[in-house]
Amino acid sequence: MPDNSALYGIIGAFKSPEELVAATRLAKQEGYCHLDAFTPFPVEELNGILELNDNRVFWLGLTGGFFGAGVALAMQVYVNFDYPLNVGGRAQYAWSAFAVVAFELTVLFAALFPALGMLALNGLPKLYHPVFNAPSFGRASSDRFFLCIGAHDPSFDSAKTAEFMRNLKADAVELVPE
Amino acid sequence: MSFASDAARPVLPPDQDLGDVTDQIARIPLHFPTRSRWLIALCLGFALFTLFLVSATVLFVRGVGVWGLNIPVNWAFAIHNYVWWLGIGHAGTLISALLLLMGRDWRNSLNRFAETMTLFAVVCAGLYPVLHLGRPWFLYWMFPYPSTMGVWPQFRSPLEWDIWAVLTYLTVSVIFWYIGLIPDLGAARDRARKRGWQVFFGVTSLGWRGSAIHWMRWRQCYRLIAALAVPLVVSVHSEVSLLFASSQIPGWHSTIFPPYFVLGAAFSGFAMVAIIAIAIRALFNLQNLVTDDHLDVLGKVLLATGFMTAYGYVFEIFDALYSSNVHDLQTLQDRFSGTYAWSYWGAVFFNFIVLQGLWWRSVRRTPWTFFTIATSVVIGMWLERYMILVTSLYRDFLVSSWGLYTASFWDWATYFGTIGVFLVPFLLIIRVFPVISIFETKEVLHEEHKEGSHAG
Amino acid sequence: MKTARTPSLQLEKIRQKLHGTRGRTFWAGLEEVADEPDFREWLTAEFPAAAEVPQNGRREFLRLMAASFALAGLAGCSERSRADLAAPFVEQPEYLVPGVPRYYATATMFGGYAQPAIATSYDGRPTKLDGNAQHPIGSSASDVFTQAAILGLYDPDRSNIPLRDGVPATWADFQQAIASFRDHWKSQGGKGVHVLMGHTTSATLIRQWTQFLAEFPQAALYLFEPASDARGGPMHLHHDLSQCDVLVGIEDDVLGPGPQQVSNASAWSSRRGEERPGAERMRMYMAESTPSLTGSVADRRIPVDASRLPDIAAALASAIGVTGPGTVQLSAKEQAWVVAAARDLQQHAGRSLLTIGGQLPLEIQELAPLVNQKLGNAGATVRYSEPFIFMPQHASTIATLVGAMKAGEVDTLIVIDSNPAYSAPGELAFADAMGRVNKRIHFGYHADETGRLANWHLPLAHMLESWSDGRAVDGTVTLVQPVIEPFYNVISVHQALDMLLGVVDPDAATAVRLTWKDRLGDPLGPRWLDALDAGFISGTAVEMDTPFPAANTGTIVTQSLNNQLDIVFRPDPSVWDGRFGNIGWLQELPKPLTKITWDNVVLVSPALAERVVLANGDNVEIAVGNRTVIGPVWIMPGQASNTVTLFLGYGRKNGGHIAGDIGYNAYAVRPASNAWHAVGTLRRAKGEHRLASTQLHHRMDGFDLVREVTAARPALAKPPAQPSFYPEWGGTDVAWAMVIDLDLCIGCNACVTACTAENNVAIVGREQVAMGREMQWIRVDRYYTGDVEDPQSYFQPVPCMHCEKAPCEMGCPVNATVHSDEGVNQQVYNRCIGTRTCSSYCPYKVRRFNWYDYTGGDDPSTIAAHNPDVTVRARGVMEKCTYCIQRIQGAHATADKENRAIKNGEVVTACQQACPTKAIVFGNLNNADSEVAKRRQSGRHYALLEELGTRPRTTYLAQWKDEGEES
Repeated sequence: MPDNSALYGIIGAFKSPEELVAATRLAKQEGYCHLDAFTPFPVEELNGILELNDNRVFWLGLTGGFFGAGVALAMQVYVNFDYPLNVGGRAQYAWSAFAVVAFELTVLFAALFPALGMLALNGLPKLYHPVFNAPSFGRASSDRFFLCIGAHDPSFDSAKTAEFMRNLKADAVELVPE
Repeated sequence: MSFASDAARPVLPPDQDLGDVTDQIARIPLHFPTRSRWLIALCLGFALFTLFLVSATVLFVRGVGVWGLNIPVNWAFAIHNYVWWLGIGHAGTLISALLLLMGRDWRNSLNRFAETMTLFAVVCAGLYPVLHLGRPWFLYWMFPYPSTMGVWPQFRSPLEWDIWAVLTYLTVSVIFWYIGLIPDLGAARDRARKRGWQVFFGVTSLGWRGSAIHWMRWRQCYRLIAALAVPLVVSVHSEVSLLFASSQIPGWHSTIFPPYFVLGAAFSGFAMVAIIAIAIRALFNLQNLVTDDHLDVLGKVLLATGFMTAYGYVFEIFDALYSSNVHDLQTLQDRFSGTYAWSYWGAVFFNFIVLQGLWWRSVRRTPWTFFTIATSVVIGMWLERYMILVTSLYRDFLVSSWGLYTASFWDWATYFGTIGVFLVPFLLIIRVFPVISIFETKEVLHEEHKEGSHAG
Repeated sequence: MKTARTPSLQLEKIRQKLHGTRGRTFWAGLEEVADEPDFREWLTAEFPAAAEVPQNGRREFLRLMAASFALAGLAGCSERSRADLAAPFVEQPEYLVPGVPRYYATATMFGGYAQPAIATSYDGRPTKLDGNAQHPIGSSASDVFTQAAILGLYDPDRSNIPLRDGVPATWADFQQAIASFRDHWKSQGGKGVHVLMGHTTSATLIRQWTQFLAEFPQAALYLFEPASDARGGPMHLHHDLSQCDVLVGIEDDVLGPGPQQVSNASAWSSRRGEERPGAERMRMYMAESTPSLTGSVADRRIPVDASRLPDIAAALASAIGVTGPGTVQLSAKEQAWVVAAARDLQQHAGRSLLTIGGQLPLEIQELAPLVNQKLGNAGATVRYSEPFIFMPQHASTIATLVGAMKAGEVDTLIVIDSNPAYSAPGELAFADAMGRVNKRIHFGYHADETGRLANWHLPLAHMLESWSDGRAVDGTVTLVQPVIEPFYNVISVHQALDMLLGVVDPDAATAVRLTWKDRLGDPLGPRWLDALDAGFISGTAVEMDTPFPAANTGTIVTQSLNNQLDIVFRPDPSVWDGRFGNIGWLQELPKPLTKITWDNVVLVSPALAERVVLANGDNVEIAVGNRTVIGPVWIMPGQASNTVTLFLGYGRKNGGHIAGDIGYNAYAVRPASNAWHAVGTLRRAKGEHRLASTQLHHRMDGFDLVREVTAARPALAKPPAQPSFYPEWGGTDVAWAMVIDLDLCIGCNACVTACTAENNVAIVGREQVAMGREMQWIRVDRYYTGDVEDPQSYFQPVPCMHCEKAPCEMGCPVNATVHSDEGVNQQVYNRCIGTRTCSSYCPYKVRRFNWYDYTGGDDPSTIAAHNPDVTVRARGVMEKCTYCIQRIQGAHATADKENRAIKNGEVVTACQQACPTKAIVFGNLNNADSEVAKRRQSGRHYALLEELGTRPRTTYLAQWKDEGEES
């Protein structure tokens, strides 16, 4: 299907999350698999339907935490090992004192890792994306909930898919050029 | 006090649909309303900012001697304003993160500028430890770098902890603020018509398109950072309190300090949030988003944290009496009746007496009354920090080294200057970024619509 | 002559331009005048080299020369006047190792008496004075004045060039003038020549004077020492307090400031401290009108109004039985005191002592010898000798001189090392009278009040620049040798006398050598050199077994106050009669009992303050006769209720930029008839004065900061062993520690001044002190307890405690204050970033902070006084007592070179060295034989605030409380 090659996919705009969720569910049943949804705010139900399941961000956070704690403790122990000084008769390795900086760095990296990780996994920043070509897509950040069926979907056919989309009572169906 | 009831009752007027919200908030930067009022505020900010630059210059050129400090009172304005600013900052994080985790949706109308407030309050706080150094140009010695003399920082010192705590707090606050801002920047981008704004928001939104999988990861990340931010706040201000508690000075050397400081911080911070909320909603006519219900809830929180702080006062007295340590008792007596008793009783009055007004629903829901009380709390907490610093130092153990402290002109100039340091960037930010979290507000609005329809 | 004068005349204009400028401003001023034609002309005259300097290069030339201008004053410039420019040696003298100090025995003069001293000199630059331990009366101890004399040497305000009518002149000019004067005097046989000088014991000066008198028999001599009292009257008293079981003093501050302070205090200390009451410990009774150091450490002190002290003395005398039964009325309290004192005096007959202050009338003073004679104390605790202060029969009082001047009988007035225009009793109006003299010649260190009135002001050399001699308080002849070339265009007092005697360009040393030729032989011979080396001529102490001449037991007349007040005059504990007014160290020294700096106050009793409604700092007007003076009041616990104390030495008009115009001038109301006591009135005057006191609160408020033990309970309760979370840190075999015996401290401030001198402690000025920013590393806290009218007084020196578990170190984020292996709490100035956490955390508040750049603006000459072994601290860093780390390291270096351990007592801190009573000891705790280790075993040993667990290395010995027989 030559015309598909020029296409990224077809998007349909819906008035409410509920309609989008319903539509997505039907699209799944239709056998579409290259689906994506664009919403102004998170819509939890979609995760289930689109079988989205990715906890790497959380794991990144955990890693960051351990990393921070490790770095902090190592640093504090090293400087006191490298240049030992009698400071007010306190212990050379004053763990209770080191705990504070250790905690701070734990938090610091436990926040930095997932933040950067989230952007990386989402492939952001990415200023250009085909869906932006859809004229009405601007409302995806406001009050419309979009379903996109990718052109690479085996069961994609621009005519049929558009028809299918209209049947879902999408108030706008648009072809998204590549 | 329970927020559940508030959560059940819609805090936003339901007669507005999602698009309206987007347009209304996103329009603020794009088609800025009330320019004149904003400009006036900005001018004031710049005036104070200039004052800061002048006093900082004088300070650096002549030395910390320009302040009223001496031995024994060699810490005063610098440190007590540092604590005060930091405390104010904390409320931003608490409102945003803690309430997010608790699923208190009413926070969604407040968190954005609360977080913004945090950023610049922390900046102001962060300036002081630099200013108060005898030799500020050697600040970098507090960081561990391989110096030619092979000397390292001293990690048993609360001041060293400070550096790490404040920088961590600043970084995490920035991340939290920005991550939360990205989707709204996307919204603003899509509303923007002028090329400049389109590019600006296009870039700053990093090409956010609200894809489902993005939302999922975003939410994980946002909640995770929120979950970290809460203990971070607690740790940062506990650590600040150790700056005093880990000394042996009577009036400082007390185990109540960490919670006492954290609660005091939250207290002053919520007050500041209230002040800003009321100001902003008046400035941009956002009564429909920052509603009287918001003020109402905020009022209850303020009242609650007020009492928790009051507990600190009570316990301090109990602590001294129970220990029956002559020096602690001396300090207690000095606070009640000494030269600086005004700061103690001032704190009690502005923090707790005036606060009692919040028992009345009408007072909480009337902007100007609430505003007055919130202001009084901010003043009260300022006096409290001053009291903790000065009344402990000016008379410590040895009678012979008792001395007096009077703030000099430059003490005051620097302090008022930092208010400018806070105002200017804050005003600029609310000028160019959405002042209220658009998507979260819409989420709430949507929830309410649903409940509305279910009910009906 | 003409050629020599012209530049001076031009200079006068320049001097006016530069008037009052000094240090940097002075240099700036020079820049301004650089292009003045006058200046250029003068410059080329004085520095032919400058003539070659091109127009545009002149400023550069000036910049290079600025330091020597600043030092030498414009016209004074010559190669001699560059002492502290640290000129490098062209050929290194073999004996002189750069940076290694050399020590010279010399002396300073105080009230005419020689104060033996050892001068420390780095590369020919004296930086410190201490006592001369070899000297018969000497110990390593010294008093504040000896310590501060070093700064007097570098005083930038010292006059540095002869002035004729205020215009710089040369010595040649003066000698020409003298030549003509002498012809005139000769023709009159010396009639109309009147000479006024301060007290002296210098054999050379006496010889020269006698020679002068031989030449001009009609010349009149006046001896004037404003602050020296008539102690002892006809005889010179030699107290031996070490023999005293009981000391009864009436208005006699034997431990107070004065030429005898050091010797008295060290003798006194041998009977206090470890000696316990009821055993060997001296018991002290004191009746005085105004609190003194002696009174502060007395066991039985009673405040008595000055006008009633004679009654007390009389009552005591009759109680002992040397006079008939007294008719005087005493209060019950006074009676009890007299009875107790008399009983103790008698019980310890032969080992007791009654002293009566030289400020009381002679007939009262002479009761003391009677009593001591009767009790057999004479010859034991007190001995007598002929006075050796130069006091020729024909010498007359200053009042007579003023009379003569008013009568116009004075043709020539020669003032030598004295400042009568300022310090003469106000009612004499000396300055006005001086106007009627046609030849007014003034020799002095400063162009002071008198110098300004003279047609000839001639600058004298500092003692440390001079050859001279004098006698110590025991009469031992003490030699003064210069430890530095005079760096101004000045001459010694002996050269001055030689000039008056017609010698042309007299040599500095000749006069002194001549005096001792017979005794010591050739000036380069062994005996002379030995004497110089030791600093004194042995075996010259006076014969002390002269009996006291039969005293008149005439009736004592006690004046009635008729509801006026007793006004008593006292020399200032810091600036004495005013002569030390321009020495910053002394101005900033907190006065022992008030802790006030940079001011003198009017002491009143709490009762009087209540009656007149006065608060500290309120201005009051004191009226004596028709003369008045206004000064700030200070309410003094223990002051006799109707006695007002005025302190001399302030209110200078031309005192220099430090003495400035601070304080009030007590001389204004000082009567000519009675120098120490007057009757007058006090009233509240307008306004108040912000006093710069280093201690705002003197009541101990029930804290146990100073602890006491009694004969009944001679040991303090041992504190329970303190558990600690912190590990034990093993040190080396050296553990430095200091123990201060509070029973021995008399609050004399010698330690503070010595520390200031040793450690380059900055002077910050009255405003900064008033803000609580004084920099002294050791302070002497002064407390009192009990009844404010008659309190118990305490002194407590507080240096850094060098805590083993130091809170300050824990607080420093950059390791700028850390602990040494030897237990010294070290402050690393160049690592300090000035967070001041250490000071916040310090429970003893012994740390000091450089709020501004206190040292950057120092005069070149002040910089010259610095100890090169101690860093001069910059702005923004913390500083504090270091246990004189430079001395510790010095000792280490020596010990290492000799491959041995540091010896016991090898390291002596500056405060310890200066302390006349050995209250402060320092040493190695790990050495069982060290004085420190021994003192730590004492039952009186305690640590300040030990409950804090800071484990101080500086600790204290409790003070004895003598409960007397009742106990």
